[in-house]
Amino acid sequence: MSAKSKLNQMKAFIKKPHNIILVVLLVVLGYLTLVPLLTIILDTVTVHSSEARFVKKPVGSLTLYHWTKMFASGVTSQKTFYEPFVNTMVVAFLSCVLAILIGGFFAWTVTRTNIRAKAFISTVFVFPYIMPAWTLAMAWLNFFRNSRIGGAPGLFTVFTGMETPNWFAYGLFPIVIVQGLHYAPFAYILIGGILRNMDANLEEAAMLLHANRIQIMMKVTLPIVRPALLSTFLLVFSSTMSAFAVPAFLGSPVRYQVLTTQMYRTLNGMNPGYGYIMALVMIVIGVGILMLNQWITGRRKSYTTITGKSSNISLFNLRKARTPLTILLVTILMMVAILPLASFAIESFIMAPGDYSFSNFTTEFWIGKGRADIANSEPGILRNPSIWLGLTNSLKLSIIISLIAGTVGMLSGYAIAKRRGSRLSTWVNNLTFFPYLMPSMAFGAIFLSMFAVRRGFIPALYGSFWLLVIVGAVKYLPFASRSGINAMLQLSGEIEEAGTIMGVGWLKRMTRIIFPIQKTTFISGYLLPFISCMRELSLFILLVSPSTRILTTLLFQYNEKGWNQYANAINLMIVVIVVGFNLLINKLTGASIDKGIGNN
Amino acid sequence: MPRIELQHITKKFGKFVAVDDLNMVIDDRSFVTLLGPSGCGKTTTLRMIAGLETPTEGVITINDKIVFSSEDGIDVPPDKRDVGFLFQNYALWPHMTVYKNIAFGLENLKWSKDAIKTRVEELLAMLKISEFAARYPSELSGGQQQRVAIARTLATGPKVLFMDEPLSNLDAKLRMEMRSELKRLHRETDSTFVYVTHDQLEAMTLSSMVCLMKNGYMQQYAPPLEVYRKPANTFTADFVGSPNINLVEGMVLQGKPLILKITNQVHLSFHPKTDIAVEQGQAIVLGLRPEHIAVLEQESDVEAEILSSLPSGMETIIALSMDSIRLHSVVFGDIDFEVGKRVGLSFGDGIFNLFDKASGRNLGQGTLSRV
Repeated sequence: MSAKSKLNQMKAFIKKPHNIILVVLLVVLGYLTLVPLLTIILDTVTVHSSEARFVKKPVGSLTLYHWTKMFASGVTSQKTFYEPFVNTMVVAFLSCVLAILIGGFFAWTVTRTNIRAKAFISTVFVFPYIMPAWTLAMAWLNFFRNSRIGGAPGLFTVFTGMETPNWFAYGLFPIVIVQGLHYAPFAYILIGGILRNMDANLEEAAMLLHANRIQIMMKVTLPIVRPALLSTFLLVFSSTMSAFAVPAFLGSPVRYQVLTTQMYRTLNGMNPGYGYIMALVMIVIGVGILMLNQWITGRRKSYTTITGKSSNISLFNLRKARTPLTILLVTILMMVAILPLASFAIESFIMAPGDYSFSNFTTEFWIGKGRADIANSEPGILRNPSIWLGLTNSLKLSIIISLIAGTVGMLSGYAIAKRRGSRLSTWVNNLTFFPYLMPSMAFGAIFLSMFAVRRGFIPALYGSFWLLVIVGAVKYLPFASRSGINAMLQLSGEIEEAGTIMGVGWLKRMTRIIFPIQKTTFISGYLLPFISCMRELSLFILLVSPSTRILTTLLFQYNEKGWNQYANAINLMIVVIVVGFNLLINKLTGASIDKGIGNN
Repeated sequence: MPRIELQHITKKFGKFVAVDDLNMVIDDRSFVTLLGPSGCGKTTTLRMIAGLETPTEGVITINDKIVFSSEDGIDVPPDKRDVGFLFQNYALWPHMTVYKNIAFGLENLKWSKDAIKTRVEELLAMLKISEFAARYPSELSGGQQQRVAIARTLATGPKVLFMDEPLSNLDAKLRMEMRSELKRLHRETDSTFVYVTHDQLEAMTLSSMVCLMKNGYMQQYAPPLEVYRKPANTFTADFVGSPNINLVEGMVLQGKPLILKITNQVHLSFHPKTDIAVEQGQAIVLGLRPEHIAVLEQESDVEAEILSSLPSGMETIIALSMDSIRLHSVVFGDIDFEVGKRVGLSFGDGIFNLFDKASGRNLGQGTLSRV
């Protein structure tokens, strides 16, 4: 090939905006995701200052110290790694099973039976997922805490006089229940989507061929949704595996450690090398899960076209069970979605914890000036400057992150879909999804170590607000890019080409043609990072400094100090903002978080 | 014998009436098509007979056995009605091989393994898909999937077969092939076919009876050629036939002998075959099938100008302007016409239908000539 034709090829390549987007993303994301990964690996074999004494090697030199300590040092390994690892797997597995059973049952009931109040169930069922994960954990403590952690017992004990046993109040059991309930909506949305799109004719055909209800379920419905069910299982598994807040709240009173809580201890403490090994283990499992998922969905028997006329679904007649079942489901929903909020409100208004008599109610923790005898004269949260700072920081951070992640996600979706099948596009696609697999806390820790010093043109960012922005934007890019890709794949290329032929410029094509058509999907791409960021704890917990603290980290601090009322009040505030914002956007644009959830 | 009878069948979805007071009898071994535009209630009717949809009111009898009655609260489930159903999108189970798909119904009937094998192989051969037995549906073309779906439906030997637009997802050539295939199957299986389509050509060529529907009402229930020759109203006249019938508005100028005023210039004399009750001044619609308008080089019944000529070899479709009324005519043979030329039109050998404009009802048949 002559030099001139090569040059012309280059020119033609650069002339297309989607090529430029892909190349820029490849470089930037490569730097922000692959370099951290290398840093992690390097960190696991490097001597850190705090441990130089034990290793007997100069700081910064190579060592296998962490790896041997972690995997092959008898009781130490057992305590630091193997036990938390097994706990993590058990928690993740059981939570997953629970989430799928609950979510699947609700999904089947809403899409396939004639139950009442479908709209209400659909809307409210998603609440536990929109709310921060620890919401239910805190509610659990509000109801069931016993005297073990000191202080007052929970509502249950107050009203019944029975002391809850430890296994019920803390550790594996409540963690599984709470995580299962938190991720049940996720399963509900995925499974519900499949059932809604699944051609009812497939079931009717079986019925006409003399199959009974059970045979239809076992031989037709379940096998058809099985790949999707498995992939739901895997996605929920990877989420529960890397969850931090719930085990931290419910596990620590009885020293029930999982990988993430161990990671927090080690990364926050003296031995980051250990933490990074745990992070690596989790990343490996995450990648393994993703590959398994791709293998399952790409097999011969599975198929993508489950479309069809689904308008004709013949609903399963519940007959006499209709009203009782409706009441049962609505009651369960009230208990997991509405009651926790009520408990936060109540807890934030009582003076002495555990005493729910009317005379004990106070507005001190909301609007009090602060009293010397309570919580080091911390003022009530509505006149507390550090809370206001946290709130503004949280909002500012979430808005900036959602703008960046949403826009980049949309552009990457556009470019990936345009060049679908090419190697460049596949790489960028995988890179934009990679942050999803990184456990949040490890991701935060890496950025901490990476940007603590000046790197090229990027100044040292430790303690700066922009460090939080970068971490959040990269971490939540997968949400936005998934919706971006989905939006673009639904759109025929000809729609944009029609604009190109009429000489409409690229920017105008994007803003006047493509964005308006797929508005709701793109807005979901902005909404999801915003909401995730508003309620994120583990990603930022290692990165905040006093001036950049946000609501969630404040909540965690208050909780650690045992200032229950403040923590409850802040939690209520976060939930109200997140749920309110979701409803507002939903009303204004029709976009909603549940549409986004279905995409990833 | 599986004779199907519908009495006063009504189906409402909320306030929307999908099917309104439908009465019809489907004879044993007939091939009945439910024909109409989308949303006319034909698929709903089919699904109600099969038991997939519950009628709001009415009685359905299959083979002298009441399978549904709103008054007596009888609702026999679909699998007990001994019917087969062929879905528009085939509804093949993606996780089963072709063989498994076909064997499924027989397994549910607890046939022995050997008997199933014999039966499935017989069907595979009958539909010429033996070599695909081990494949999954996603690995087959649309036409092959269609054949598998038919084999699956026939496997249990239902006496009645329902088909919901089974050919609409196929390309033109395959559709042609499957049409003759279906007709062959109808003869070979010796069963009753009820077929839903919006394609009038399919209805005309396949069926022994056509049930034309619109907005939930039955418009006409007759053999296809009768629908063609003597449409019950302007809707059925317009729905059947390609190119479409010419529906020309006019009024009765004089009752006896009957003279129609089409335009100020064009007056035609209508000679009824039977008694027709019309009043002077009544607004009417005259139905002229394109093949009954002869285009001549000489002066004839009326004059017209050629607007366009579309020769396809076997026939030529001509658009004409008769005193600024647009007409279509079909002339057989490979002839082309000069656009803009003035020609004569003759209504010599046609039998034409006269409709009441207000109600759309057929008033009667007759021949036409110049006044």
